[in-house]
Amino acid sequence: MENETDENVGEDIQEDDETEDEEFEDFEDDEDTRDIVVPGEVLTEDTKNFLPGRGTIYNNDRTKIISLNIGLKQIKKNYVNVIPLRGFYTPRPGDKVIALVIDKNPVKYKCDINAKDFGTLKPKNTIKRGKIRSFRGSGGSGGGSRQEEANAEKYEIGDILIVKILSADRLNKPELTTVGKYLGKKNNGFVISIDPPKIPRVIGRNGSMIKMLKNLTKTNIFVTQNGRIWLKGEDIAHERLLVESIQKIATEAHTVGLTDRMQEFIINEKKVRGIE
Amino acid sequence: MPLIINDEYPEKLFREDGKRLDGRDLNELRPIKMEVGVIKNADGSAYMEWGNNKIFAAVYGPRDVHPHHLAKPDRGILRVFYRMATFSVFDRKRPAPGRREKEISMIVADCLEPILFLELYPDTSFEVFIDVMDADGGTRCASTTVAALALADAGIPMKSLVSALAVGKIDGKKVVDLSGIEDKAGEADLPIAITWYNEEISLLQFDGDMDLDDLTEFLDLAKESLAKIHQIQLDSLKSKYVTLKREEGEN
Amino acid sequence: MMDVKRIVSRIEKNYITSNLKKEQRIDGRGLWEYRDLKIESNTISSAEGSADVSLGDTRILTGLKYEIGEPFPDLPDEGVCTIMAELLPLASPLFERGPPDEQSIELARVVDRGIRHADCIQTKKLCIKENEAVYILFVDMYVLNHDGNMIDAGGVSALTTLISAHLPEGKIGDNGLEWTGKYFTGDELVKELPLVMTYGKIDDIIFLDPNLPEELLCDGKISISVTEKKITSIQKSGAATFSIDEIKMLGKKSLEIGQNLRKELNLLQYRTSIK
Repeated sequence: MENETDENVGEDIQEDDETEDEEFEDFEDDEDTRDIVVPGEVLTEDTKNFLPGRGTIYNNDRTKIISLNIGLKQIKKNYVNVIPLRGFYTPRPGDKVIALVIDKNPVKYKCDINAKDFGTLKPKNTIKRGKIRSFRGSGGSGGGSRQEEANAEKYEIGDILIVKILSADRLNKPELTTVGKYLGKKNNGFVISIDPPKIPRVIGRNGSMIKMLKNLTKTNIFVTQNGRIWLKGEDIAHERLLVESIQKIATEAHTVGLTDRMQEFIINEKKVRGIE
Repeated sequence: MPLIINDEYPEKLFREDGKRLDGRDLNELRPIKMEVGVIKNADGSAYMEWGNNKIFAAVYGPRDVHPHHLAKPDRGILRVFYRMATFSVFDRKRPAPGRREKEISMIVADCLEPILFLELYPDTSFEVFIDVMDADGGTRCASTTVAALALADAGIPMKSLVSALAVGKIDGKKVVDLSGIEDKAGEADLPIAITWYNEEISLLQFDGDMDLDDLTEFLDLAKESLAKIHQIQLDSLKSKYVTLKREEGEN
Repeated sequence: MMDVKRIVSRIEKNYITSNLKKEQRIDGRGLWEYRDLKIESNTISSAEGSADVSLGDTRILTGLKYEIGEPFPDLPDEGVCTIMAELLPLASPLFERGPPDEQSIELARVVDRGIRHADCIQTKKLCIKENEAVYILFVDMYVLNHDGNMIDAGGVSALTTLISAHLPEGKIGDNGLEWTGKYFTGDELVKELPLVMTYGKIDDIIFLDPNLPEELLCDGKISISVTEKKITSIQKSGAATFSIDEIKMLGKKSLEIGQNLRKELNLLQYRTSIK
C-alpha cells in the first residue's frame, strides 16, 4: 500500500506554515472593530486618496468606492478592501484543498473540489513518496511511463485526498497533484465543510485559533482553502465538540476576541459534557 | 387572519375613516420581514413576509450548466424559476408551472442580471429558485426583492441590490404597495424596480389607464417607498452580524 | 458534514458505520432517537390548513386546499383526501426541476397510506350530499430543505395540516350549494393520529431517522406507520434485506416510539380556533 503509512506525520504541523498569504490575516483578534458592509454600500467618497481594492469597485460616475459583497470593510495603505463574509471557492494555483474522487479512468481521476469545475488528477501527479522521480530522460518514453504507472498511487472512487492545485484559469479546468508535503489520501477521520471565506478564521493569526483547537480538543485537524476540513479525534465526543466549535467560529467569524471566547467555550463545554 | 369563502371583490376599497381596507394610509407599506440564510443546503437564500406574501428564494451557483447546450462560452447565465405553491392562492393552483410563472421568471431575471458580473463567469450557471408559499398581491415585486437578498447571501459579487414595489390607483387615489384585493379590484397597477447602482429602473409594467401626470406621480411615489424597502433589505443582510457584535447603539 | 453531492466518501462511510456499531452518531443521538422536531401550524393565510415542520434540518411546508365535487361512485357518502409531494429544487442540489420523480412519489404515497389506512380522516363528515357533493381535500407537501428522512417529517407535516384545517360548512339548499357561515375544524375531522417511523439499515445496523449522509449510505430503509395500538402501513425500500426478527422488533419499537412521540407532540394543540 502506501509508503506513507503513519497518518500522524505532518498533521501536527500547522497549516499556517504556509500562510504568508495576506488573506490569512484578514480576521485578526486585535483589530479594531470593522464595519459590516453590503453590496452597493458606499465605502468612501475620497477617491483622491483611496483606490478600490479587493471586493470593491467605483460607482457609476466614479465619485465613490462601493462594496461588491457582504463583508468587512478594511483599509490597507491607500486601498479600500472588503473581506467577504459569504462566498464560494475559486480554485487558484498553490491552494491546498480536500478532493473527493468521483470518477476515474486509466488516464485520470475526476475530483470534486467544491468548486464550479471538477479537478483533474493525472497519475503522473500522484507519484509515491520515496520513489525516484528522475526517470525522465532515462531512455525510451515507453520505459518512463511504465515506471510512472508503477510508482503512481492508485485511488478509488470515494477516496478523500489532500491535493494541491497546480493550475486553474478561465480556460483550463483545475489540475491537481498529490505530490508534496502533507498531500495524499486520507484513510481515516472525516471531513466537514464550512463557508470558504471563514477558513482564515479557523486558522487564526499565526495559527493561533487552530493551535488552540487542536490542543484543547485533542484532535488532528487539516484545514484547506475550499472550505473543507479534515479531522480526527480521540473519540466521537471530542470530535463532536470540535465540529460544533468550528461551526461557532464560522458563525462569529466577523467578531473580535473570538479566539479567547472560543477557548472559554471549549473549556466550559468540556466540563459540561464531562470530557477532558 | 381572514377566513373567506368566496373570492369576491368588495365594492369600496377605502373604509369610512379614509384608510384602506387593511387599515393603511395611501403611502404606507404592508409589514415586511426579511431573513437570509434560511435554506441550509442552498448557496444563498432568503425568506420574506410582505403582508400576507410568504416567499422563499434560494441561489445555487456558480455551478456547471445543465443542460450544457445552454452554456455561454464568454459569460455566465442566470436563470430564475418562479413558482407558486398550490395552496398559495385562494383557488388551488395546479402544481405544474404555468405561463404567468414563466413570464415572471423572465422579468425577475431581467432585473437581477444587470447587477451581476456574468462576464466574469464563462460557462457557468447561476440559478435562482423563487417559491411563493402564500400570495397576496405584488408577488413579482416581492420576489425580485427577496431574490436580490439571496444572491447577496450567496456571496456573489453584485454592483448593488435591487428593490421592487407595485404602486397603483384604487378608487381614484394613488397608493403604494397594492394588496391582493387592491390589485384585482383597483384601476391601475404599476410594478416597478430600481437598481441602486445607477438608480435606474430595471422592471416596469403597467396595467390600467393613466395620463402623463399620473406617470410622473407614480414614479415619484414609487421611488420614495423603494428607498424604504432597500433599507429593510440592507438591515436584514446585516442583522445576522450586528447582533453578535456587542456594540452599543446597533439596531 | 461535508457538502454532499451524490457520492459519500469512503472515510465518511467508515466513520458513520463504525460509530453506529458503537451506537453513536456525530449529532449525539442514540440509534432510536429522533432529531429535534419543530412545528408551526396555520402559517399560510391562503390555505385552509397548513403546517411548517422541521425534523433536524429537513423542512417540509404543507398546505391544504379543498374543492367541492362528486364522490367516487363506490364511496358515495365519503369525501376524498389526496396527498401530493414536491421536492423543490431549492431544497437540495440533489433535486432537479421537473415533474414528480420516484422519490417525491414515494414520499407522497408512504405518507398517504399511513394516514389513509389509519382511518385518520372521518371522510363521512366530508359529505355534503350523498352522490352529489363532497369535500375533496388536497394536502400538498413542499420540501424546503432536505437533510434526510423526508418521510417522517412529511408524515407529521401532513397530519398537523389536517388537524389545523378550517373548512367552511356547506349544505345543499334550495338554490344549490350554500355556506352556513360556520366552519368545522380539523380536530373534529381527524380521529386517529398516525405517525410514521423510518429506519435505515447499513450493513447489519438498523437505526431510526437517518440524516442525509446516513440515508445516502443506507443499503435499505423501512417505514412503519402506527396509531396508538395498531400498525397501519409498512414500506420497505432499497436492496437490503431484513430478517423476520428484525421486522418484529421494528414493529414493536414503532408502536412504543409512536406512543411516546404522540404524547410528546400533542398534535391536537395545532388545531385552529375559529372566533
